[in-house]
Amino acid sequence: MGLFKNIFIWWDGATIGTAWHSLRKGRFIAEDSSGNRYYESKKGPRRRWVIYASGKPNDASNVPAEWHGWLHQTVEDVPDQSLPPARAWEAPYTANLTGTGGAYHPAGALESNRARARASGDYEAWSPS
Amino acid sequence: MPKVTVDGIATEVPDGATVLQACEIAGKEIPRFCYHERLSIAGNCRMCLVEVKPGPPKPQASCALPAAEGQEIFTTTEMVKKAREGVMEFLLINHPLDCPICDQGGECDLQDQAMAYGKGHTRYEMNKRAVTEKYMGPVVKTEMTRCIHCTRCVRFAQEVAGVEEIGAVGRGENMEITTYLEHAATSELSGNVVDLCPVGALTARPYAFEARPWELRKTPSIDVMDAVGTNIRLDSRGREVLRALPRINEDVNEEWASNKTRHAVDGLYRNRLDKAYVRKNGKLETASWADAFAAIAGAAKKAGSKVAAIGGDMVEVEALYAAQKLLEGLGSKQIEGRQNGMDYDASNLAAVNFNTTIAGIEEADAILLIGTNPRWEAPLVNTRIRRAAKAGAKVFVIGPEIDLTYPVTWLGDDAALAADLPEDAADALKAAERPALIIGGGGIMVPGLQAASLALADTYNLIRDGWNGYNVLHFSAARMGSLMLGWAQPGGTADLAAADPELLFLLGADGVDFEAFSGAFKVYVGHHGEQGAAQADVVLPGASYAEKSGTWVNLEGRVQRGNRAVFPPGDAREDWTIFRALSDALGNTLPFDTLDQLRDAIAAEFPALADEGLAEYEWAPPKLSDGAPSGPIALPIKDFYLTNAICRASETMQRCSAELIHGEEFAEAAE
Repeated sequence: MGLFKNIFIWWDGATIGTAWHSLRKGRFIAEDSSGNRYYESKKGPRRRWVIYASGKPNDASNVPAEWHGWLHQTVEDVPDQSLPPARAWEAPYTANLTGTGGAYHPAGALESNRARARASGDYEAWSPS
Repeated sequence: MPKVTVDGIATEVPDGATVLQACEIAGKEIPRFCYHERLSIAGNCRMCLVEVKPGPPKPQASCALPAAEGQEIFTTTEMVKKAREGVMEFLLINHPLDCPICDQGGECDLQDQAMAYGKGHTRYEMNKRAVTEKYMGPVVKTEMTRCIHCTRCVRFAQEVAGVEEIGAVGRGENMEITTYLEHAATSELSGNVVDLCPVGALTARPYAFEARPWELRKTPSIDVMDAVGTNIRLDSRGREVLRALPRINEDVNEEWASNKTRHAVDGLYRNRLDKAYVRKNGKLETASWADAFAAIAGAAKKAGSKVAAIGGDMVEVEALYAAQKLLEGLGSKQIEGRQNGMDYDASNLAAVNFNTTIAGIEEADAILLIGTNPRWEAPLVNTRIRRAAKAGAKVFVIGPEIDLTYPVTWLGDDAALAADLPEDAADALKAAERPALIIGGGGIMVPGLQAASLALADTYNLIRDGWNGYNVLHFSAARMGSLMLGWAQPGGTADLAAADPELLFLLGADGVDFEAFSGAFKVYVGHHGEQGAAQADVVLPGASYAEKSGTWVNLEGRVQRGNRAVFPPGDAREDWTIFRALSDALGNTLPFDTLDQLRDAIAAEFPALADEGLAEYEWAPPKLSDGAPSGPIALPIKDFYLTNAICRASETMQRCSAELIHGEEFAEAAE
């Protein structure tokens, strides 16, 4: 299944080309807490890339903030060495939740189930008792 | 009739006209802030400056200058423009530039006139004046820093409302408009100062920060809070009526409206009936229209022709007529529009009408009030009586002692006085050229007092050439309309109860003595859930006055039409369509499908209701046996602000009642 998928689809894990390239030209650097694997080119101009954890869609927002910096060559070393340790008050990173059940809905959206603000034409109906 | 020239246009003006009026006759617009046609002339804003020859070589305030023969008036010269620009610059020195957060924005005289005469920049570098807030009651919101001291509100309070509670203290830059002791403006007309205020100093408190004037859809309508039939404009946005403003009608309300007319509209959105209900096992449960109609059809089958209908205080002619036809189809003529049990003789419409007309009562030179509080029953009639009193009319009152805003002679509150008038009142009525008698709802309810008042009309010759001084002051918007359609039984609702109906229709009638109809299957058609809906076996949701096009007849017999401003909420429908649909379910379809067809049917049967305008009634008073009235007269309205279901649902009216009538203090949230 894995190989089949790697050949025919591009949205789940690395394609066959990327996997082959990573194996030949890439040096594996580290894997982050959610399972994304980070690579750097062995030779030539320095390129960095990521192969997303399997089971997660290929969505750039899956890369946590600290690895984003490394990936875009903002920092030289891997986050553990180049960044100060995470503070106690920092919330864990979450990917973009749009389109999922955890998506944000403003107060008043039908999905939010919260009371909406008063709008023009609202009325209080009478009820017996 | 002086002849003047305005910018080269020769114009003839009436005697006593001012230069400003002469300019208006000639079609020239003069900017103004303090001048108002209906108030005395103050001449303190100086915006209406014009050049006049002959005269001193300086601009003249046209509002305070009488037009004289041969005057040459110039309104567009360089001197006039410069003078007005100067006045505008002075006014703007102390006026805050808060138009974006000001409720007057878009309908502000200062804003408009600054477009024409504003300089666009300021030469003033010092601090602006700021004024502490004043509290002017639950309907007027103040922002006195914006005040330009035109004193229109002060003059209105003194001259029209007749309560000296807004005044000015201090002079020059330190002048401040205030309510004496900052008491809530207790007049029931105080809301009019909001319209008079040319800037945003006085704005409507319930409407604060709600909408901009250009967002609103304006619908001409007729007010139903009292029987005056105030011509109003309902301003709505989307499905909500946000405010009611008076329209100009010189014969009815001039350009005023009572606070109840203006601010009861928030009651249209509380306690509404929006679904049909049917009583099952003693409890009202929601039902579809079809189920509700089926329940009524079942009851109608059992009742046969033992059907009756009672009309409420705010129902329009169309609904009454449709209900009447429905009942006729069932074989019943048991209809009554006086829900509170009044049983005066209504066989002659002229004898239960305000014959002098609202505008005409100003001409009266002796007025006898019997059992009425016009200040609460019809505030805009009270301003007319007040004007008559100021012009020298003597006013006598039989009834409880109350402050009517003008000097009156109290004769006492014993109804027997009407049969035997004290000498001073009798002499005044006899000597008067245009004597008038006004009997109110409190008076006409007393047995025998109607006969006594009609006898007075005979004795003092109140009906003479070109003058009918006999007036009945109703306080329900539906009253004259329902009487014209014949919704009156000789014994009032008691006659209906005596006939023991098995099916009873209540058209927005909440004040009925429900005990008397305990055996009947009650169908309530109305818009607010109150006693009537709670007592009913079937509730059908109807439309309020803002939600239907209807015809109302005011207390002087003036047929007036209002238009629908918004749609009724939920499943509610316009009342006449409910009766039309119900007639189908009862197998006796009414012969009209559209409002036009219905109105044609009404016009064919009651020609007086065909067109808008004053209906003609022939004066033929009924011969009533003298009932020898006696005992103290009680007034029917106990609380001006809570007289009908819409007011009682309105938060603003509840607050007005608590604060202005019951004297509760309301802490203002710090802003």
